[in-house]
Amino acid sequence: MKDANLEASARRIVEIATKLGAEETTARVSKGSWTELQRRDGKVEKAQESRSLSAGVSLMVEGRYSSHSTSDLRPDALQGFLERAVAATRFLEPDPARALPDLGQMGMAEVDLDPIDPGQDGRLPDDRRSAVGRLEECAQRRTSDLATRSITSFGWDGASESALVTSHGFASHWASTSFGLGASVSLEDQDGKLPEAWTSYQARHQSDIPTPDAIAADLAQRGRARLGSGPMESGRYPLLLDRRVVSGLLRVLMGPLSGTAIFEGRSCLKDKLGKRIGSAAFTLIDDPLIPRALGSHPHDGDGLPARRRTVISDGILQMFFLSIYNSRRLGMPCTTGGASNLVVPPGERSPAELAADRGRVIRVDGFLGGNSNAATGDFSFGIQGALLEDGKPVRALSEMNVSGDLFGLLDRFACAADDTWAYGSWRTPSLLFDDIQFSGA
Amino acid sequence: MSLPRPAGPPGAYFERMGVTPEVLRRVLDAALSRGGDDADLFFQHSASNAVSLSDHKVNQVNTHVDLGMGVRVVVDDQVGYAYSEDLRPAALVAAARAAAEIASGTPGRTAANPIARPIPDLYPVQQPWDGVGMAHRVQMVRQWEQAAFAEDPRVQRVEAYLADASTVVMVVRPDGRLVQDWRPMTLAMVRATAEDGGVTDSSSYNVAARAGLEYYDDSRQGRMVKEAVDRTLFLLKADKPPAGEMPVVLAAGPSAILLHEAIGHGMEADFNRKRTSIYADKMGKKIASEQVTIVDDGTLANERGALGIDDEGNPTERTVLVEDGRLSSYMYDEISARHYGVSPTGSGRRQDFRSAPIPRMRSTIMEAGPHDPQEIIKSVDRGLYCVSFANGQVNIGAGDFSFYMRQGYLIEDGKLTRPVKDVNIIGNGPEALSRIDMVGNDLVIDEGGWTCGKDGQGVPVSQGMPTVRVSKLTVGGVG
Repeated sequence: MKDANLEASARRIVEIATKLGAEETTARVSKGSWTELQRRDGKVEKAQESRSLSAGVSLMVEGRYSSHSTSDLRPDALQGFLERAVAATRFLEPDPARALPDLGQMGMAEVDLDPIDPGQDGRLPDDRRSAVGRLEECAQRRTSDLATRSITSFGWDGASESALVTSHGFASHWASTSFGLGASVSLEDQDGKLPEAWTSYQARHQSDIPTPDAIAADLAQRGRARLGSGPMESGRYPLLLDRRVVSGLLRVLMGPLSGTAIFEGRSCLKDKLGKRIGSAAFTLIDDPLIPRALGSHPHDGDGLPARRRTVISDGILQMFFLSIYNSRRLGMPCTTGGASNLVVPPGERSPAELAADRGRVIRVDGFLGGNSNAATGDFSFGIQGALLEDGKPVRALSEMNVSGDLFGLLDRFACAADDTWAYGSWRTPSLLFDDIQFSGA
Repeated sequence: MSLPRPAGPPGAYFERMGVTPEVLRRVLDAALSRGGDDADLFFQHSASNAVSLSDHKVNQVNTHVDLGMGVRVVVDDQVGYAYSEDLRPAALVAAARAAAEIASGTPGRTAANPIARPIPDLYPVQQPWDGVGMAHRVQMVRQWEQAAFAEDPRVQRVEAYLADASTVVMVVRPDGRLVQDWRPMTLAMVRATAEDGGVTDSSSYNVAARAGLEYYDDSRQGRMVKEAVDRTLFLLKADKPPAGEMPVVLAAGPSAILLHEAIGHGMEADFNRKRTSIYADKMGKKIASEQVTIVDDGTLANERGALGIDDEGNPTERTVLVEDGRLSSYMYDEISARHYGVSPTGSGRRQDFRSAPIPRMRSTIMEAGPHDPQEIIKSVDRGLYCVSFANGQVNIGAGDFSFYMRQGYLIEDGKLTRPVKDVNIIGNGPEALSRIDMVGNDLVIDEGGWTCGKDGQGVPVSQGMPTVRVSKLTVGGVG
């Protein structure tokens, strides 16, 4: 699966921009095709076919920087687009830190990331209809003891491909496939509310997606857990953060780690490199080299070869996410501009076993709104979940908030469970924290 | 590049790209080739420009161009959808045939010859962006930065940007309707980071409208800068409020995020047609005090939520969702309107040609009530007064919603006291509406650049509200 036209188009863009006076040009031409199918209550609700082709260009003109994108690749339109782009750039102030990295620094990691399922290309409309239809049947059967109002099942698959070319001689090509299958259910609760539950699995290879019956069983369990929910009294409780929603809370950490926030002085971590920022039990790794993982890539956004990096090691902050640009502006060594797969090493016990040690625990398995402040680390999020006693759910929770600050949160990290989630770019197990502030009734 | 308002009759704009009336008929016939009930073609050409300042330099410009057509085929409430970024006839016909796969019969009809319909101009513009040069834009952003530093010595850093986006859309239907809309937009932001006594914090202020350069009069530019700095300095001395349930007074303007989350989404007709909204069985019923009237209005000129036509080609209107406390209308797209046997309310919207339209909000507003805002604050012994917000979310079926307050005050003995910041507030939609027990006489439509997300599609919206008191909501504070 390699479309040579993409690289040819990217080369043409670089040529035109160079002719127009750009001293450095990076062009990325991407294409994708996806098919989505959704069924609701016994029939197809929506079928969508997507085919896209677009180009992204960044320019240095007289030391000035700009970036552009277009889906209008008609030759005349592209010429005019680049003329205007080059002309607009000349009005800016110089920003030499934007220059391309040395060619010698650039390259691809030599690891087989196995991002392509060769079966995707030959998938037939009937294959898709039967997968989504089977999931719907399984979901109906698995929820037959519940008062369901509506069941929706959905699936998608697709392929995307992009070619990157720079004016100083770097070229790369990257292609991947993806598959997804999921379902949602709307339930009638005794108080007249209609709680919903959903589940969704995404992977690079179709064989990594669970069976329709396993997905349906997961949906039914999540649906059951939403019934009879409400707030409990405000207070401080241990928090068991479900493996699927770890990013919902730990994104509080990602804003302050970004090179732009560090440079702009609005990061609570700006003076913390090499220092303790949390419990010695907490380790976080950025790993772009996990075969088949959704966040894996051969090179980062700057074209530097991807490599595994420890972000936080035993509670000590080891790195910021610094692109070439931000590293030059800050006068610090470059790392990588953004996260790939974020990994928290798993522990040896199940989430239920960990919770059983703590007596009463709030398990959070969904977030509803909320936000955080990168400058201070303060956060506050709406949550849903369950009160666990001795590791077992005894009460469904909703209409509650979890609040605190980044340092307090990481300091109270206790341990990780053994149930690593493999269907997202946050590949972490469920995490246990002690003494976290919840507000409710 | 900014797209000027198209000259010539509707349809001529895309005809110059080869999309002739004959091509339109062929594409529509392909869409209906398997006997769909209805179809629509949505052509879009858009261009946007953003000039950004960071680190004392106006050092970045970003431009984006998008061109394509989406085709939808509808069979009862089933939708087939496909799009093409290539406007050559063969590619358009191929997309139409892919969308037609949802149907399984034989052609029932052929498309009528498209005839252009006029639409109202809701975006009068005095100084269009295609006439505003880069040098002028760079100068504006630089002035905002200088003004922000001049505002207070504690300001350490400033970022700012100025953007405009222009879109030409054309909707064509098998019944011969052809409508075209030119939609301008501008958005600007100033962010300040300040430090005082070892405390650092950062905040921003943004404004948006479907307008030209004239939007940035001296008073608006001054307000943008002053608000960005004032909000940042406010955070330096603010703390977290206490946790738990308490009365909440929402200041006029951006507090309308409460309406958007607590009732707006639940009143979108698709959720009700599927009977998954908490409001599905409540039409005509009383859900709030008689002081409460809520509208969703697509016709407010120059507002970010204004639309001359919706993205299915229907006229927009002022839709009354709640009248004197009673539910009175959902927001209908065509599929839902057909389901309920009513006329569409011009609420069918989409992010772009890559997405099928669904019912969405436009400008969502609570009308003014009888109370003086000061009287409302005075009425609270101990509670929270909310001034500015970042974001919100709702679970449609359970009705739980939340919104994140950036900035507010504690109310103690009827007075605003301690400044507080960064808390999430959570409640249940119908319960929260029933607890709105005082509505102020000071309606403000917020000037901020709000974007609403649903099914992965973002669309620009506006919102407005007077000061209101909600007798109880759960505040995510500490202690």
